[in-house]
Amino acid sequence: MDIKEYIASGILEEYIFDTLSPQERIEVELRLAEYPELREELNAIEDSLEGIAMATAIQPPADLKANIMSTLGASEVGLKEENTKQKEEPKVIPMPQTNNGMWKYMVAASVTIALVTSYLAYDYHGKWKASSDAFAQLQAQNSQMAEQYNQVNNRLDDLVADIDIISDTDFKRVNMGAVDPTQSYAASVYWNAKTDEAYLNIKQLKTLTEEQQYQLWAIVDGVPVDMGVFDFDVEGLMKMKNVQNASMFAVTIEPKGGSENPTLDLMQVAGAV
Amino acid sequence: MILRLKNQDKDALSYLYDKYGAALYGAVQRIVQDEDVAAEVVQDIFLKIWNKIGMYDPQKGRLFTWMLNLSRNAAIDKIRSKEIKRSAKTDSIDEYVYTIDRQNSTETSVDGIGVRELMDDLVEEQRFVLLKVYFEGFSHSEIADEYDIPLGTVKSRLRSALKHLRNKVQL
Repeated sequence: MDIKEYIASGILEEYIFDTLSPQERIEVELRLAEYPELREELNAIEDSLEGIAMATAIQPPADLKANIMSTLGASEVGLKEENTKQKEEPKVIPMPQTNNGMWKYMVAASVTIALVTSYLAYDYHGKWKASSDAFAQLQAQNSQMAEQYNQVNNRLDDLVADIDIISDTDFKRVNMGAVDPTQSYAASVYWNAKTDEAYLNIKQLKTLTEEQQYQLWAIVDGVPVDMGVFDFDVEGLMKMKNVQNASMFAVTIEPKGGSENPTLDLMQVAGAV
Repeated sequence: MILRLKNQDKDALSYLYDKYGAALYGAVQRIVQDEDVAAEVVQDIFLKIWNKIGMYDPQKGRLFTWMLNLSRNAAIDKIRSKEIKRSAKTDSIDEYVYTIDRQNSTETSVDGIGVRELMDDLVEEQRFVLLKVYFEGFSHSEIADEYDIPLGTVKSRLRSALKHLRNKVQL
């Protein structure tokens, strides 16, 4: 076959313009496959055709492309979007799920820690409070014992002092008996005539009200002299006012703070030196 | 590109439109002689490309050739369905082709080669056949019948015209 003549016949152009009958087309296609020169010529024709089209192009209306793309979209794009949605769904949904799982564990852990810590805090607080209470109790006991010790010690000192007075021969013991013979009231005065010192010791006296006090009197030259007041519950020896030349001692019940003159009606005990 | 189109990739069609839309619109516009109709036809063409891409066989020719033939056929179908008389527009082919070109002078492609420039140095016979076939959608035999030109002559003139232009429109 004469290829040049075949090309010159213009059948390739017809083939390109798609104006051949189906039978002719098949014939051309067979020859194209057989002769590379024909394929080359066909390419050249296509080049020129494309070149003409490009050279004679006219810019279409601006909205044409958008119209085309939107009409495409109607069916296929809808499907496509659904597809991408379906694709995205397993992507998107499991994430929050795992997050939720994480959060659940984290929250659970936090709550557990909070509960344990609270319990421990409560427990330690209780223990601390118990220890604190025990400590306070011990401190109180300690101070109480110290106080008691001091009291006992003071009392012992007092007793030692009392014993000193009692055993001192310069002190004369003056016993005072009950004025009312039916009562068994009794008290004593230790009086040092050299130094004029005097101490009172109650054996038994009746209980007085808050507003009352006992008052010790000395009779000097027939006149009662105040030697001071004392409460009914005084223990041990009580230092009274100094007195000279006393011939007699007596105790009366007086209003609190004492009186200038003894209320003789309420004389409880009395005794001569 | 073809694979992407066959996979219904919208971006591929978008690219195709950006590259060849104006060329196809130009070809269609010169056949249908109406901007609105041309737009309508081009829209149909791209939908056809989108839907019928499976029918395109790369072995038989380039994608653009296939698209151009689709466009020309669609444009020709359009004017025939509108019963536009061929005789009415064949009276002064050169005039109207050039007129369109002048009307669309601002819209022609950036390379600036208009149809006039492209065709100027073709001999009259060659230009006539090319315009008839390419811009008016005549088949070779239709030209032969209508203008009493032997079919072989039509073919060879068309061939000569394309061969001449081949050198002019370097891609």
